[in-house]
Amino acid sequence: MKVTYSWLKNFVDLKISPQALAEKLTMAGLEVVSFEQSGEDSVFEIEITSNRPDWLSVLGVAREVSAICGLKLKKPKFKETKIKAKDLLPLKILISDKRDCPFYSGRVIYDVKVGPSPDWLKKRLESLGCRSVNNIVDITNFVLFETGQPLHAFDLDTLSQKVINVRRAGKDDKIVMIDGQQKVLNSEVLVIADADKPVAIAGIMGGQATEVTFKTRNLLLESAVFSSILVRRAKQKLGLQSESAYRFERGVDFETAKTASIAAQELILKLAGGRPRTYKSIGTAKPVNPLINLELTYVNKILGVAIPSVKIKQILSRLGLEVKTKTKNILSVKIPGFRQDLRLPIDLVEEIARIYGYAKIPKTIPAIRPAANITDKEDIAAGIKNILSGLGLYEVITYSLVDRHLLIKLGINTDKNLIEILNPKSCEQEVLRSTLLPSLIRCIAYNLDQQQENIKIFETANVFSAEAGSTREEPYLGIALCGVNSFLIEKGMVKDEVNLLHLKGVLEIILNRLGVKGFDFVRQDEYRINIVIGREESGFMLDLSRQALDAFDIKNRRVVLAELNLKKLFSHINLGKKFVSIPKFPAIARDISFVINNEISVKELLLAIKERGAPLLRHVKVADYYQGKQIPQGSKGLTLSCIYRLDERTLTEEEINSLHNEVCSLLEERFGVKLR
Amino acid sequence: MDIKLIQAQIENDLAAVTSLQALEEVRIKYLGRKGLLAELTGSISGLALEQRGAFGKEVNVLKNKLLSLIEEKGKFLKKSGSVEKKENLDVGLPGIAQELGGLHPITQVINEICAIFTRMGFSVVQGPEIETEYNNFTGLNIPLEHPSRDAFDTFYLKNYPKLLLRSHTSPVQVRAMKAHQPPLAIVVPGRVYRPDAVDASHLFMFHQVEGFLVDENVKFSDLKGILELFAKSVFGQDIKMRFRPHFFPFTEPSAEVDISCIICKGSGCSVCGRKGWLEILGAGLIHPDVFKQVGYDSKKYTGFAFGMGIERIAMLKYGINDIRLFFENDLRFLKQF
Repeated sequence: MKVTYSWLKNFVDLKISPQALAEKLTMAGLEVVSFEQSGEDSVFEIEITSNRPDWLSVLGVAREVSAICGLKLKKPKFKETKIKAKDLLPLKILISDKRDCPFYSGRVIYDVKVGPSPDWLKKRLESLGCRSVNNIVDITNFVLFETGQPLHAFDLDTLSQKVINVRRAGKDDKIVMIDGQQKVLNSEVLVIADADKPVAIAGIMGGQATEVTFKTRNLLLESAVFSSILVRRAKQKLGLQSESAYRFERGVDFETAKTASIAAQELILKLAGGRPRTYKSIGTAKPVNPLINLELTYVNKILGVAIPSVKIKQILSRLGLEVKTKTKNILSVKIPGFRQDLRLPIDLVEEIARIYGYAKIPKTIPAIRPAANITDKEDIAAGIKNILSGLGLYEVITYSLVDRHLLIKLGINTDKNLIEILNPKSCEQEVLRSTLLPSLIRCIAYNLDQQQENIKIFETANVFSAEAGSTREEPYLGIALCGVNSFLIEKGMVKDEVNLLHLKGVLEIILNRLGVKGFDFVRQDEYRINIVIGREESGFMLDLSRQALDAFDIKNRRVVLAELNLKKLFSHINLGKKFVSIPKFPAIARDISFVINNEISVKELLLAIKERGAPLLRHVKVADYYQGKQIPQGSKGLTLSCIYRLDERTLTEEEINSLHNEVCSLLEERFGVKLR
Repeated sequence: MDIKLIQAQIENDLAAVTSLQALEEVRIKYLGRKGLLAELTGSISGLALEQRGAFGKEVNVLKNKLLSLIEEKGKFLKKSGSVEKKENLDVGLPGIAQELGGLHPITQVINEICAIFTRMGFSVVQGPEIETEYNNFTGLNIPLEHPSRDAFDTFYLKNYPKLLLRSHTSPVQVRAMKAHQPPLAIVVPGRVYRPDAVDASHLFMFHQVEGFLVDENVKFSDLKGILELFAKSVFGQDIKMRFRPHFFPFTEPSAEVDISCIICKGSGCSVCGRKGWLEILGAGLIHPDVFKQVGYDSKKYTGFAFGMGIERIAMLKYGINDIRLFFENDLRFLKQF
């Protein structure tokens, strides 16, 4: 909202510079967001918080200035003009529901001379960015800016039967607004109607047909209080915005509604002449002036500062509140109608703190008593993130809301189980994602476009799905690897394109580190390998198909992905550690090299060997693995290192040899391998 | 042969050794297949039967002695660096190590902020991103049809009339207070959502950290003290801080908190819009109406709450000028943190 320095000076004897005033206003909660020198005057643009409709007027800001600067507020005085008995004209005002319109007043003035406004009035309005229309409209705007009460002037002679009916619009009611737009109304909208039709949308905007023009002779001046919720709804529904609606939806003051009407009439008679013929009001301004008992000790306890009671009383009175001392410690504070935001003692504490100055309140450090029995899983997720970044992966953060087509690219069924957004601003905000993977693939594609090689990324985030009348929201870990790992070892540079084993290695490190027992990787099909934890499918690895890569515009690259349900993972975590004695006697290793059919998985082989060699065979390591020239098609070459050990003593050669022979013959007999 | 003489000779030879190679020569001379000790052992068979045992023992003692002397000398030589030269490694080559990845800058800032508060005794708690209208609004004293809702434009879910995507982390206040009795000292990091069109300073998803303390005798001055401690930890000891009165439905009194511009140190620049101040968070004492909603006795307990946007803090901290960079996840961006 805009306000000018000179207009404020009408109500407060300002001695400080506009700059200094801007600073003081900001520090009292009326944030001056811009400040402009305009000729002799200065214009402040103030951001007004939604709890303070009283600040939406020059008078309201002036009241604040008087409190901040400790100056007297020069309240304007208005005098009601007596209507001569012979002039009195009947006026019919109907209100169909008092809840919609608790107060309505109409003032009829005859024989006004509509014309241009005098320069001082034009200038005043223009300084606030308001265009001059004619003297009558300008006066209503002037009073609105000065007092905060929106007014509306009708051309009385255009009102059918000169009746005012405040009612809900009918189903097919239409109205052409003063800006020329036609609006179709419904029963949600409160209108001012004459005997036949709506002539204005209550509290928002008047109609074209009844507006005051240079031809107007007789006026009806409206000053009313409308339901703020109705004004807000109608404004949103009809897409209308006005200075009037801005104030009504925040709430106006009954008392001001009366005084503003008097002020406007006074100005009209002065600038446009005319004869007042009627003043009629319906609804009594309900006296909402509540009393709040404020304990002075409470003020100081809450703020952590000792403000003298004299100072407190002075602050509250300058703000226009009526303060009475009840006891030494208790003030009784009467709240005026324009401060409906003040309901509780704490509200008064804020007023005192604001004007006293937040800056003058000291800084203290409280003794913090931590909350008992609050734990959560965040530490574990943080631990996983640290492991992954230690393994060379970068964390990414992608949007939880996605375009449904992003999911379709990965072949995800988007017809069911997806949670859709009711009010997206764009298609990228259409649905809540049910998997992290499409976003990660998009991230890989983006980085490939930026000529990045070797993209290893992960994200932890919640994913969402619709489930029989409720929603499911669970934390997931997504990993995506793409590119060639090239690294230097002592003998030279090694290059290695990522594949599912790199991904499996990463997952194994996480699972082992978290003490997860009994996990397994089970191939489902050509592309997908399920991650099973404690017999429960908890995630999967994916070797992205050509088709999917094409959908994401990824060329000549392999992308491997994993997704893991962290909720399921968390239920299998075992972080308890137990020390096992370090072996006293040495272990002895025996290697076996052989070629084996690809059909037989290493997992199967290791299990069988371990079973046969138990308990002396402690561990079997894959020491080498190769496929290539020297190995027949459909086979792989393997070197396994078997580690034998006994806790009690050193094993003899004979013991190891005989057991190792058994292991070798198992390989030959059961798996038909040829030992080398 | 006199064993003692041989021992003296050995000690002489070893004393003259200055390299591992020379040591190896000594070893071969005495312990090699054709060495002196092999010769001695071979001579046993030529001795009288009764002498053989004693002589054999002496030879063995000598052999063991020699072995330990050679080992000792070897260790000494290695330690004193008189080791022979290895191949000439170019240390100008890059070092060899597993490449390190990294955490997203937003995570790093969240971690830093949470760490500051956990050191003070706060616990980290999280809440769901799909929230009820009650927790997001009503429980926080935000009336449904009021202009104060305008600041919290919100995504609603189709087919779930009372559910929405939380537009701030404050609903976790309601959840935590309903689940626990004071004292409470909690920080809440997380994703929040608002239907905005994306540009250099707006996103429809971003991160907040919320914090609140509830106990007996929590004062406005405590809020100032804690937040100053926090801001100085994040932005440096030299910054100035100011509290401006503001309005939030769930706190009273409420404040917006500014720090002196970290770019221009308060003289006014484009980052701070020539104001010299940067708004970094909103805060206040928890409104008695919120306590009423969660069933706390506002006569007994008071509390403060604060909330901040992490992207904004990260942008200021790292000098990032476009908020979209955070979720583009360009590796050239991510690798800088």
